[in-house]
Amino acid sequence: MFCIRGCGRRVAASLTKQHLASVRFGGDSAAPWTPHFDVVVIGGGHAGTEAAAAAARCGSRTLLLTHRVDTIGQMSCNPSFGGIGKGHLMREVDALDGLCSRICDQSGIHYKVLNRRKGPAVWGLRAQIDRKLYKQNMQKEILNTPRLTIQEGAVEDLILTEPEPEHTGKYRVSGVVLADGSTIYAESVVLTTGTFLRGMIVIGLEMHPAGRLGDQPSIGLAQTLEKLGFVVGRLKTGTPPRIAKESVNFSILNKQTPDNPSIPFSFINQTVWIKPEDQLPCYLTHTNPRVDEIVLENLHLNCHVKETTRGPRYCPSIESKVLRFPNRVHQVWLEPEGMDSDLIYPQGLSVTLPAELQEKMITCIRGLENAKMVQPGYGVQYDYMDPRQISPSLETHLVQRLFFAGQINGTTGYEEAAAQGVIAGINASLRVRHKPPFVISRTEGYIGVLIDDLTTLGTNEPYRMFTSRAEFRLSLRPDNADSRLTFRGYKEAGCVSQQRYERASWMKSSLEEGISMLKSIEFLSTKWKTLIPESSISSGKSLPLRALDVLKYEEVDMELLARAVPEPLKKYTQCRELAERLKIEATRNKGSSAR
Amino acid sequence: MWRGLWTLVSRAARGPHSPRPCTRQGSRYPGPGSGATIFALSSGQGRCGIAVIRTSGPASGHALRSLTAPRDLPPARKACLRLLSDPRSGEPLDRALVLWFPGPQSFTGEDCTEFHVHGGPAVVSGVLQALGSVPGLRPAEAGEFTRRAFAHGKLSLTEVEGLADLIHAETEAQRRQALRQLDGELGDLCRGWAETLTKALAHVEAYIDFSEDDNLEEGVLDQADSEVRKLEVALGVHLRDARRGQRLRSGAHVVVAGPPNAGKSSLVNLLSRKPVSIVSPEPGTTRDVLETPVDLAGFPALLSDTAGLREGVGPVEQEGVRRAQKRLEQADLILAVLDATDLASPASCNFLDTVVIPAGAGNPSGNSQRLLLVLNKSDLLPAGCSDPHPDLPSHLLLSCLTGEGLDGLLEALKKELAALCGDPSTGPLLTRSRHQHHLQGCLDALGQYKQARDLALAAEALRVARGHLSRLTGGGGTEEILDIIFRDFCVGK
Repeated sequence: MFCIRGCGRRVAASLTKQHLASVRFGGDSAAPWTPHFDVVVIGGGHAGTEAAAAAARCGSRTLLLTHRVDTIGQMSCNPSFGGIGKGHLMREVDALDGLCSRICDQSGIHYKVLNRRKGPAVWGLRAQIDRKLYKQNMQKEILNTPRLTIQEGAVEDLILTEPEPEHTGKYRVSGVVLADGSTIYAESVVLTTGTFLRGMIVIGLEMHPAGRLGDQPSIGLAQTLEKLGFVVGRLKTGTPPRIAKESVNFSILNKQTPDNPSIPFSFINQTVWIKPEDQLPCYLTHTNPRVDEIVLENLHLNCHVKETTRGPRYCPSIESKVLRFPNRVHQVWLEPEGMDSDLIYPQGLSVTLPAELQEKMITCIRGLENAKMVQPGYGVQYDYMDPRQISPSLETHLVQRLFFAGQINGTTGYEEAAAQGVIAGINASLRVRHKPPFVISRTEGYIGVLIDDLTTLGTNEPYRMFTSRAEFRLSLRPDNADSRLTFRGYKEAGCVSQQRYERASWMKSSLEEGISMLKSIEFLSTKWKTLIPESSISSGKSLPLRALDVLKYEEVDMELLARAVPEPLKKYTQCRELAERLKIEATRNKGSSAR
Repeated sequence: MWRGLWTLVSRAARGPHSPRPCTRQGSRYPGPGSGATIFALSSGQGRCGIAVIRTSGPASGHALRSLTAPRDLPPARKACLRLLSDPRSGEPLDRALVLWFPGPQSFTGEDCTEFHVHGGPAVVSGVLQALGSVPGLRPAEAGEFTRRAFAHGKLSLTEVEGLADLIHAETEAQRRQALRQLDGELGDLCRGWAETLTKALAHVEAYIDFSEDDNLEEGVLDQADSEVRKLEVALGVHLRDARRGQRLRSGAHVVVAGPPNAGKSSLVNLLSRKPVSIVSPEPGTTRDVLETPVDLAGFPALLSDTAGLREGVGPVEQEGVRRAQKRLEQADLILAVLDATDLASPASCNFLDTVVIPAGAGNPSGNSQRLLLVLNKSDLLPAGCSDPHPDLPSHLLLSCLTGEGLDGLLEALKKELAALCGDPSTGPLLTRSRHQHHLQGCLDALGQYKQARDLALAAEALRVARGHLSRLTGGGGTEEILDIIFRDFCVGK
């Protein structure tokens, strides 16, 4: 998955304007002539927005510095959020009152839970997202966040002072220098520069700096970090070409329809903004031997694939798929980019061949025979900081009060970035207030797994979340992220709103009450069988059975149970989430079992 | 002492981040606890001809030079004669053989030195004190050398245990077994199983993480199922053998039983070459169970003397009889003793009927008890009568008084014990109940896998199973799983 912030044409466009006068938005507290903030966040991508919003929620006067306000919330790669493992991260970000899950509930155009048949611990909440809507909704949210100021500007350098003796670290950051020479003082600084540090775009044999005219600031920052002694590594990734929607022959392809009902990402939403019947479908097609031929015949025109920069072990590009798994057919998902977008995103077709060969390759795929390529796919190579140089709070060991989050730490994916952003924002704020850091352990959440893996093992490929990374997978479920994190976030970090806290408390007490209610209802199995004839309860032996044990049967849910025993169970079916969670908890409940 | 060593090793194995491998960090970061250079007396305590003192760690070379000043380091892995002197006072300590093992080709993987000094306590403590005065050196903790060897990948967990066994091998057979284990034979077997299991788990994990938006081949789960079934069979077969190895460590339980006054205590004393039990012509002299560990024909055994089995006696002796019967049930091998001159007595007949015949017949469950029938007091039999009791089950004639027939008995014991304990030279055996525990845990978890309907629960069972195996082999991190997933499947976008 490719997730560079602002590359390709958009970068070129954005960076030519980077010297435009600083414009301030919002800003209810900081006057322009006294630029001193508690927390300054550099970068307006998925990590930066979450970090800035989290710091502001925690009560810090926060400044978000970005090249262009109108690229805040840009989804620069795939038009989707979530999936297996990634959906888990989103639920945890939401449990800490982060933004991306709520924005996705307002911007999705195809909601689908993956792995429905494999057990609730590995359900993967996922949605196709309308890029335009996401950006609009994210900007609306960010620009209306209290205590958060947004400013356009490119950071050139860090202001460093003597370290605090009671903490480790050689320096302490106390502000940033902008490209126009102005300075902004800060108690904490969060760096979320994405792939911007010495980013290079690669198409075929052409390579050029991602920021062309405007990359001065990022090179300056990269040099500063290197001079300070940070160990820097290099990674590569890529993105597929975009295809004109009207040129695709969907009628001969497999259609995938969204779930009905749609399951929202956020704990505070009962529904999503759009009805299932108004959502857009996805389509599935496959590569064929002709695609392999084109890739193999033209390897000499493909310096991204040949280069030694470490790519991931998994297969992000069609070239690596063909090279490592020859003579196979590979899936290509055709995904909509938005409600009124005329673009299709061919997931699985990330490629760095010269543009004309990309077009040739596309047209030999079924359903794409007449497809028009609107924008070629390309590769990106960029610097990242070895994440073993940061602590679990995401503060660097070397520079006190400097935090790294997102792709700068070697991760890939919107969700991985957002998860780090929330943690960095919270800790940047706690640090200013001399409070202990907010650290999530591997036993508490996927966020803990992510950060622990990064900070202890480092990474030499873009790090992506999988459920197989989590040792405690059975208890780190998407459905219970609120009970794992919301209370801690409320009490220890102060990043959780009262409304969310109350919702989580209500859910917790309802679950406890529901479980004890289910334990208290007991009939003979023969009676249960007559009450719920659909169930596979054996009526051979007449044994007393609790409602909780009946709920363990695969085919029994709260709806069926409440129809059999309306009083007092009916009230537990009024909230879909509560009913579903009771079912999951019952299955996980040890003790006298139904079998 | 091996217990302490074992605790250290297992602590090292668990480590702060043991679920994950540290191979990527391995080259850059030193292993746990290193940094300091450690030294210790490696040969036994007390007066001896030669004592060996070892160091391990980065300052080893410096220490060697300090004590042999101003000489250069000797050539690697070559014994050289050097005068050792105290680096502070320059006072000569001993003329000794020194060896220099530059890492990583050393026992611990670090720079190591060995000082072979004369074994007098004054010399040894002088050299130890001199080493302690070298900056960067400190005395080793128990098992620390082995722990460092393990941390640097020089020894696998099973090899470390094998080494502990070697150090403490009490008998020849144990020594042979420990030597084989040091070669990692059991380790190889476990590693093979762990590999199979890791692959099966990786395929299930791949199915969970990737089957819905990447295309995996057909039959990934079926293949994992069949691998798990095969592994279950292999583990089951191995575990049925497993108790033999355990017996070797603690010794086979050999119980001497028979009617009163048949000479059981005399036999025990004869076999253990010391007066363990009081012997008297009075029936019922032995009332409790008396245990003594002995070396029987090269095998360790726990020899139990029991009260003579008879009825209608006082409460104390009755309790003794009850204990004797209980001990008989637990015995690995019964040495049934009868008085050769008193075979017709009710006590002898009763003993033959209730103990000897049933054991000889075996029982349907296959748990037949091994039994050797010994007819004692052969010296009292009329001369020239070679086998006076052809109708009895196979038996041996013995005179505890003259020692006649003892060689034959020892030969028979050796055969029985070899069968019980297994011959250590024919295959890897489980020497520790820990091994059995983890293999059984693994097998149980594989059973859970088959039953689970929820795939996440099934995968959890495989994770538990793999966790048990990795306690024996080391390793077992999630990165290994991901390596297999990305090697075997074309996934990722």
